[in-house]
Amino acid sequence: MKNQSGALTKKILALLLVIAVAVTAVIGWRLGKGTSVRPPAEIEDYLFWQAKDLTDFKLMGADSKTLGLNDLKGKWSFIFFGYTHCPDVCPLTLGILGKAFKLMEKDPAAFQEVQGIFISVDPKRDTPELLKEYVSYFNNKFTGVTGDAAQLDALARQMSALYTIHPKEPGKSEDSYLVSHNSTVFLVDPQGRLYGRFPPPQTPQEIAEVFLKTRTFYNERSKKRWNLF
Amino acid sequence: MESFLKTLTALMLGLAALGASAGGTDIQIQDPWVQAAPPNVKVVAAYLEIKNNGDKPQILTNASSPAFDEVGIHQSVMHGNMVHMEQLKELTIPPHASVVLNPGGLHLMLTGAKKPLNIGDQVPMTLTFHSGQKIEAKAIVRPGQTEGMEDHQHMNHSGHETHKH
Repeated sequence: MKNQSGALTKKILALLLVIAVAVTAVIGWRLGKGTSVRPPAEIEDYLFWQAKDLTDFKLMGADSKTLGLNDLKGKWSFIFFGYTHCPDVCPLTLGILGKAFKLMEKDPAAFQEVQGIFISVDPKRDTPELLKEYVSYFNNKFTGVTGDAAQLDALARQMSALYTIHPKEPGKSEDSYLVSHNSTVFLVDPQGRLYGRFPPPQTPQEIAEVFLKTRTFYNERSKKRWNLF
Repeated sequence: MESFLKTLTALMLGLAALGASAGGTDIQIQDPWVQAAPPNVKVVAAYLEIKNNGDKPQILTNASSPAFDEVGIHQSVMHGNMVHMEQLKELTIPPHASVVLNPGGLHLMLTGAKKPLNIGDQVPMTLTFHSGQKIEAKAIVRPGQTEGMEDHQHMNHSGHETHKH
């Protein structure tokens, strides 16, 4: 008797489970249909299929300031990993990003929301104070931060921004080593989610135009989401 | 005899064209410039075009500058989105061709700046070729440009209208 009722309970439970899954799927599909509007073709390639929530991190800036996930919220952040002993690609990319910011000035509301973050993956040579001076040369909306390997990896891994510090060449000074790094400019949205990326080679016009369109798309999509409820 | 005359003529023409600036060589350096950098930066890149007007390949083997401890021939290489820097032992300029060193690729890496560089400064450089020829060049310090335009971006806040290209 006990066995029979046990089997019945199991059957009912299984049936309930199937119904629950089906209902969830339908609701999810309907919600999904309402919210996952496809971005315009000209910006689609720059955006992640699904924005990725970032987990907290802590990097060190000048004047004992730290930078964490909360500092990204409410802003559009353009993040670039590099190092100051990089003579070619880093000044090139920061110069391009600085010019892109200048182009964004034509849209004051958007311009107000942007910030640039240069993350040095070379904390041995790049102190936060040195970084502050370095980044301000390119644009006054840039912040320079760094951290130890664990602090750097906490964010770099979430963005798949790999880097390698190479051993110095024999016979050269201790400080002459080279660093390989990702030269993508990452875009984090005001909710602190990895939203898009600008792979190399970038141009100022490309970054500015794609960003302004992305922001418009993002804002319209947020409005639609609210209308649903 | 004919080929001798040809060579002689070429040599004379070459001398006439370049004699004063480059000491009579087939090598021409064009638009040498140094990427302007924040004052605390000790490593910068220089870019230029090396033209070889001669019939033989020219091989750049060394570069130096009195304003820096060391100058190396470097190349930024992209593997996917990762950028690596590679040091080159030499750089060959084929006959009647030119090699352009541009941001994001080939460059001369200048390490150990003896003093901070300002925009407009001239950095003297000596390029040494495998043939033994030495070419002097003066690279001007200027802000980086993208695709050779946009210089006016640096003249903001002056009511300056942006030009349409």
